[in-house]
Amino acid sequence: MSNPDTSFRAPPDTPVAMPRVRSFVGELPLLAFVLAACAGLIVFFTGNSFAQNLLATTFLFAALSTSWNIIGGLGGQFSLGHSVFFAFGAYIAARMHLDLGLSPWLALLPAALVAAAFAMLVSWPVFRLRGPFFAIATMAMTEVVLALAMYFSSITGGAQGLSIPFKAGLHNMIFRDRMSYAILMLCFLAVTLIVMAAVTRSRLGYQLRAVHDNEDTAEAAGIDVLRTKLVGMGISAALTAMGGVFFLMYVRVVDPPSLFSLFDIGVKIALIALIGGIGTIYGPLLGALLVVPLEGMLRAELGGMMPGSNLIVLGFILVLTAMYLRKGIAGTGTDLFARIRGGR
Amino acid sequence: MTELVNILAVGLLLGGIYALVSVGLNLIFGVIRIVNFAQGEFVMLGMYGAFAAQITLRLDPYVATVLVGPALFALGAFVYWVILRPLQGQPMMQVFATFGLLMILENTVLALTGGTAYSVNSGLTGYSVSFGPIQIGLPRVLVLTAATVVTLALGWYLKSTMHGKAIRAVAQDRNAARLMGVDVERIYMVSFGIGAALAGLAGCLLSPLYTMSPQIGMNFIMPAFAVVVLGGLGSVKGAYFGGLIVGLTEALAGFYLDPALKQAVLFLMFIIVLVVRPSGLFGTAGAEEVGLREQS
Amino acid sequence: MTGFLEIRNASRHFGGLKAVDNVSFAVEKGEIVSLIGPNGAGKTTLFNLLTGQLAPTHGSVSFMGRDIGPLRPHQRARLGFGRTFQISKTLVSMSVLENAMIGAFLNDRALPDAARHAAAALERVGLAGVAGKRSGDLTLGERRRLEVARALAMQPHLLLLDEVMAGLNQTEVQEIIALVHQLNTEGVTLIVIEHNLKVVRAFSRRVLVLNRGQLLAEGTADAVLTDPAVVEAYIGGGASS
Repeated sequence: MSNPDTSFRAPPDTPVAMPRVRSFVGELPLLAFVLAACAGLIVFFTGNSFAQNLLATTFLFAALSTSWNIIGGLGGQFSLGHSVFFAFGAYIAARMHLDLGLSPWLALLPAALVAAAFAMLVSWPVFRLRGPFFAIATMAMTEVVLALAMYFSSITGGAQGLSIPFKAGLHNMIFRDRMSYAILMLCFLAVTLIVMAAVTRSRLGYQLRAVHDNEDTAEAAGIDVLRTKLVGMGISAALTAMGGVFFLMYVRVVDPPSLFSLFDIGVKIALIALIGGIGTIYGPLLGALLVVPLEGMLRAELGGMMPGSNLIVLGFILVLTAMYLRKGIAGTGTDLFARIRGGR
Repeated sequence: MTELVNILAVGLLLGGIYALVSVGLNLIFGVIRIVNFAQGEFVMLGMYGAFAAQITLRLDPYVATVLVGPALFALGAFVYWVILRPLQGQPMMQVFATFGLLMILENTVLALTGGTAYSVNSGLTGYSVSFGPIQIGLPRVLVLTAATVVTLALGWYLKSTMHGKAIRAVAQDRNAARLMGVDVERIYMVSFGIGAALAGLAGCLLSPLYTMSPQIGMNFIMPAFAVVVLGGLGSVKGAYFGGLIVGLTEALAGFYLDPALKQAVLFLMFIIVLVVRPSGLFGTAGAEEVGLREQS
Repeated sequence: MTGFLEIRNASRHFGGLKAVDNVSFAVEKGEIVSLIGPNGAGKTTLFNLLTGQLAPTHGSVSFMGRDIGPLRPHQRARLGFGRTFQISKTLVSMSVLENAMIGAFLNDRALPDAARHAAAALERVGLAGVAGKRSGDLTLGERRRLEVARALAMQPHLLLLDEVMAGLNQTEVQEIIALVHQLNTEGVTLIVIEHNLKVVRAFSRRVLVLNRGQLLAEGTADAVLTDPAVVEAYIGGGASS
């Protein structure tokens, strides 16, 4: 046999110049900078309650979209049914607050746990489906739970909905000024970004991405595909349910059609992630910073004259993103950066 | 007993509506492998088209089909060519694109009409047909009849005409069809157009039955998904029987359980079928998994 | 007998087609076994039965004396099965290093450990220089080697290579042959699907020939390749060497 190329005989431990693999800790400086910039926005708009409102909504949706991104982006399971977990959070907090007089802060953990358990239970069979069929099944799940929510009006208040009495105080998570809500939502965003960064820079994150890319390869490499998806879904649903708690205390009036809304919740958080960059850590935040203020302003400017104009614009953004910006703002930016740096 | 017959009749007629709405959706899926989320909006446009034809040309909605059908064919062909053609082999991007289209169409109509609820009159609205002990409004009978005729006609067209055979060839193996000289892109465009035109036809026929709203498309698309999944993805016959099954299920669940729960029962059944027998009753096994990948 | 890997009376039907038809054989620890046969003979299907990607219609598979029939592919991977795919299933959104890390995560929890083991695996297949590239940008030959690297990073006891030589140039083929021998001396058992008969002669003492789903012949490379039935099957089914 001929002499093999020497590079093949190199002992496995020879040091080579390998690209650095970024760790969770390595992610922290950028994370801190991004959060500081968001806090800067809140400070900049001090006293402007319209802007503070918009910021609160933006941060909330950025956080929800970041939560969705864990299973939707990293794991590639395009759920359009996250409004179910969102509603779970809101209703658990509402019942604990209205019936037992408990602080919504105490509802965060139970909401997260119940939603995660429910999400994993219903996803178990549905994860057999791929792509659009998974998306359709999650839409159908939304319809089922919505119908049940309308039916069991003793829990959800039925069509009239529920309202939380206004009793301001940190303990009640109710504030007189809008700025406090913006800060509250920013804190929630921080939590979701930290979780997203931790997942992305972990074995779980790599395995979710492998499952996203090719399930056969993932399985052959020893990844329990179903378990990986379930864990990703559980984390994602838990965070989404926490978002439901914050949303409830922010608006204080909720009814099933708005909580389960396909457009305003289920699809919107997926679409924000798509526009910002699916599977990236900061994509959903970028998407939310673009979409939510735009939509808010359109609604304020044109809402009376042309109802639905905000959704028309959103629809166009969605179509154009799908056609021309598949990797979203963050993904395309990263590619460009890599290309410039790599000189390719 | 009369009661049960009544419920079954209601269910069948409802099933006729769902079948008519779903045939186009399933044609598009079967041939192009695109799940068109905007199909309900095409139905909605058909209804508003019938309304527009009535106030401008004083046309009966049943007559308006001859204008609305071709108009929606053109719209469908345009949508395919401009938006969906570049997204071949990107199933999730197609979902987002058709969802975006759904939002655009629904809200454009909302913006134009300001949300006013319209309705359409037809000369046939007052008539009814009796079947034994039950009386049924003529428009509903016409919908069921139309669904049956469309299913049979489409089945015949696909089986017996040259163009229909080309469509089936493309549905089975697009690459082989391409090698045989079939213009695949054109077949896709025409199929999407036919699917949209069928939705427009459904819209016209349904317009005397419903008060119109821009959001009405959503009321159709979710049952239509249930229909195609139950009946079988990509099967014209499946859409017809799936429609009847969904209609009957909804009517029976509404009566024996609670009208408020009929949707829950329907979609629960839908999810169960999707998971247990994803190929549906008449579909090809594995379509839900492999059907949407780019054929290699 | 309790072989290292044993497959008994295994069949796999697709509708009316018997892709694998009543195949039995055993592989001993430390062997390099080649699996050859004309296109469509059922080689890849047989691989899928061994790794659990497909369930056999009939028959059983055992590994180290244990029936592994009910085990899913990922469970078999944990027992020490590594494999490559014939149609390269590279994880296209990931870099080359990250692709290999997916294999390394089988044994490693921490990122730095996985990265180190992945880097070592890339080094062995000669891809260290492109570790930072997107795997989608690789050439076909590089992709096949990346498949091998991912499997290597799993530190498998049993490695199944599905036509890793296809599309590689002479030097690359020699490199892979050397790698296979090196792995074998380290104690890895290998089953190799290969079309190139020169390659088969180079590294395999035992060759299995599959034709129309059935085991047609079994023996040393020289004996098998001169077997009239095998020659007939190859010429009849379109020779490729």
